[in-house]
Amino acid sequence: MTLKGIKELQNEIWMIKNLKANFGELRLNRNWDEPMGPTSKPNVTDLRAWDFKLLSRFEPFYAPFCDMCCMCTFGKCDLLGKKGACGINADAQQARTFLLSCCIGTAAHTAHAHHLLKHLIEKKGENFPIDLGMNIDIEAPIMRTVIGEKPGKLGDFRKVLDYCEEQLTYLLSATHTGQEGNILDFESKTFHAGMIDELSKEVCDISQIAAYGMPKGEEDVPLIELGLGVVDKEKPVILCIGHNVAPGAEIVDYTNDKGLYNEVEVCGICCSAIDISRRDKNAKIIGPLSKQLEFIRSGIADVIVVDEQCIRTDVLEEALKNNSTVIVTTDNACYGLPDRTNEDADKTVSDLIERRIDGALILDAEKVGEIAVKTALRISKDRRNIKILPDLKEVTKYAEDCIKCRMCERTCPNSFPVFDAIQDAGEGQFSKLLEVYEICYSCGKCEESCKADLPLVSMLTKVGGHYLKNQNYRIRQGRGPIQDVEIRKVGRPIVFGEIPGIIAFVGCTNYPKGGEEIAKMAEEFLKRNYIVVATGCSAMSIGEYKDKEGITLYEKYEDVFGAGGLVNLGSCVSNAHVSGACIKIANIFAKKPLRANYEEIADYILNRIGACGVAFGAYSQKASAITAGINRWGIPAIVGPHGTKFKRLLLGRKDKKESWKVNDLRSGEVVEGEPSPEHLLYAAETKEEVIALIPKICIRVNDTPKGRQTKLTNYIDLHQKYIETFPNDLHLFVRNRNDIPITYRKQVTEFLESKGWKPKEAPFEPSLMDFKKEEGR
Amino acid sequence: MMPWQPTTIAGPKQARVANPESVIRMLKKAKRPLFIIGPVIICDEGCDETVCHKAKIRSSCMDIAKEWDIPVVTVGHAFKSFLKEGFDTEPMGIIEIVNLLKDPEWKGLRGEGQHDLVLFIGVTYYIASQGLSTLKHFAQHLVTVTLCKFFHPNADASFPNMSDKKWLKYLEKLKISLRILNQEINTIRRV
Ligand code: SF4
Ligand code: SF4
Ligand code: SF4
Repeated sequence: MTLKGIKELQNEIWMIKNLKANFGELRLNRNWDEPMGPTSKPNVTDLRAWDFKLLSRFEPFYAPFCDMCCMCTFGKCDLLGKKGACGINADAQQARTFLLSCCIGTAAHTAHAHHLLKHLIEKKGENFPIDLGMNIDIEAPIMRTVIGEKPGKLGDFRKVLDYCEEQLTYLLSATHTGQEGNILDFESKTFHAGMIDELSKEVCDISQIAAYGMPKGEEDVPLIELGLGVVDKEKPVILCIGHNVAPGAEIVDYTNDKGLYNEVEVCGICCSAIDISRRDKNAKIIGPLSKQLEFIRSGIADVIVVDEQCIRTDVLEEALKNNSTVIVTTDNACYGLPDRTNEDADKTVSDLIERRIDGALILDAEKVGEIAVKTALRISKDRRNIKILPDLKEVTKYAEDCIKCRMCERTCPNSFPVFDAIQDAGEGQFSKLLEVYEICYSCGKCEESCKADLPLVSMLTKVGGHYLKNQNYRIRQGRGPIQDVEIRKVGRPIVFGEIPGIIAFVGCTNYPKGGEEIAKMAEEFLKRNYIVVATGCSAMSIGEYKDKEGITLYEKYEDVFGAGGLVNLGSCVSNAHVSGACIKIANIFAKKPLRANYEEIADYILNRIGACGVAFGAYSQKASAITAGINRWGIPAIVGPHGTKFKRLLLGRKDKKESWKVNDLRSGEVVEGEPSPEHLLYAAETKEEVIALIPKICIRVNDTPKGRQTKLTNYIDLHQKYIETFPNDLHLFVRNRNDIPITYRKQVTEFLESKGWKPKEAPFEPSLMDFKKEEGR
Repeated sequence: MMPWQPTTIAGPKQARVANPESVIRMLKKAKRPLFIIGPVIICDEGCDETVCHKAKIRSSCMDIAKEWDIPVVTVGHAFKSFLKEGFDTEPMGIIEIVNLLKDPEWKGLRGEGQHDLVLFIGVTYYIASQGLSTLKHFAQHLVTVTLCKFFHPNADASFPNMSDKKWLKYLEKLKISLRILNQEINTIRRV
């Protein structure tokens, strides 16, 4: 039998085996005739070989936050130049803690998906169809590629979450004292945690889109009101904080059902806000995470409803200071409050109003809707007269009490000049305090360490609110996945490099100099015809910036997934659609089979799709899991300076030629590659460094000469604009003379000569995958 | 000494408190020093550079590098301010250069071999602290010294926390001492 014949036979046997194994699940996939691929529901070690390929190019870089380990009673162990009592050394310990961080982040998304799915199934039933409309056939690209199944109904997601939870348990167990000890194996597990995180996010977003009737990827979704100034303070105000849309959606539904819509203001902070506005476009978004303490301190909210993730743990304490009522709604954060889930709603409302209880735990989203609205309606009048923030005279009075210890600026994560601002405020001058207010993310660390006990956050809030009355902006409604029809249009220009890149601004607000920098970065690339997408707090930060004409980028740039388009995908869980879009390009444009075919899809993305994530303000464990998730797909990410505190990056070495070799699957040769993308996870110190790096990190081995010229033009332009010099590694990205940008021909040619550059052939089918037996050499 | 950001204490080992004299001693011993300069000493837009202390700090840094012939890497977006002065530096990311420094096989900025002493100034405090931690753990082949006005416990030696005035004085002293030392060395060579 010929080699080909043997291979076909092997394939058939493999398919029959899979058919048998999946017989009980065929119903799920009845309209899907794609054969099952090699890695359905991969176990912890099943994609290890792929991970090791990535890690041989992008080596782990560790920056310990702490020299010590205190994770078991053998400790504390000092790991500086020594091993711990369990045998672990400093680099493995960093890899271990990063895995732990990713497990925490993944658990947060998986628990979120579970809470939400349970609620939606109770509400709509197991058989509620997953239908994302006429323009989306590939409804769950991650699930299809990882699990090898596609969802038909809500109940189908249960199995996905069962798989996620099983894998997460294995991964978490590996961080126990005395288990894994090898950094590469820790890193492979970290990638696995990231992949599970991707699945959980996708389950979460698709179920809420289907069941709550959120936008299904349509272009040109409405603009939503955003900002501290959009709330009508004369009405009862309900504030939702967190990430799980269910309680907020039920509040909005309750007001609509009871005809109370115009009587109550429903607003939100962080991702719950984005998702509530996807449910109801009239809901208002206060802003990102950075507004949390500030808004609670302002006392505007009568009722504060918290769900899960990224909620301050002192919400209750802060709310009690100004007589706001707190309702907690998930088992993640109960804050010691009495469980009123099964209590009569009116009895709970009366207990809250009469202050017989400080707040309530209500694990029933519909009941939360009723209780929150009824309580807000009844307490708001009395609360209007409560004076919460100091007035400007009092701000000055407080500032006079400063004892000049400077702990405020020493403990501020960004060393903002709080000290100088307070000295000026003591003289009745508030301009410096206002400048701090505009970039401050109200973490409260300055206030906590103030030796004179000054209420610094309240002082900042007062000054900000007093001078910036019109904090009124616009953001696009989060539109969810990219439609298949859009992918068909852009697949080719992206893969050939003619659209120079897809940039996803994602993640939280731990920005070094305020959110405006995100908007400025986004605009630089929108002007240059990149596709810009955004999620979560970054999407809000982009909306919080107005240009000289007073309009936001969402009003200025089209809501299309195309060159120069700006798309708000939605909340943190909508990050799944970033990799989802890349997977769909591999499938729709390149016809790569998706089904349980992780490695081939990731290899395609790594070598051909110039996408990158920018999480400039990444702060949480979820952010670490999100980066691990996109990295395993071959999508690089850039974090901001605080991202170094994740303690681990994945860096390429452009000076090590050996590590960039690729297999040309067409010719069967191992050929010289290029450092593209140069890093898989990089931390940049400043906005300027990020802008200069993005065009380079969007270069891919597969770019056509025309595409490469476009990318190099952007690289040279932006490097010259922000670093003010010609990029000194340009020769590494010019394969032959056809790649030289026309506008810079002379300059580049001279530079290449100075570097002793020699042309090389571009590979036809670059890949990190092994040659199939008959092709290899 | 308490670090400038108090929570950057990483463990029992802390940097030695340095002064201009001790830095000179370390420089004298070093064969291939490197100077890393970050964006914190770059003036903000609209700043009057004739009075700004950051401009004076930059000027001292350039003099120190010239006096002792130390190659300079500028990180973040620090490159442009030096270019304006006609001073040649190599632009890089702080993470990129730290990654190269931790590799004992790297040939250094001038291709003469891995550096054995690295001076830091003006790198954002917390990112510098993380980079110094990487080098403390994984680059036993080199010594790190910070010339910022903030104490950095993760360095091998660091200037203490101090005012702008004292900081300028320290850098001036370093510059002048290097000049004198250079003159002495040249005299000895001539003799
Ligand atoms: S886990 Fe290992 S390194 Fe950490 S305290 Fe225990 S023995 Fe020491
Ligand atoms: S509240 Fe603002 S000023 Fe205070 S420490 Fe946090 S970021 Fe700095
Ligand atoms: S921490 Fe408080 S007392 Fe100390 S300088 Fe700052 S404002 Fe003044």
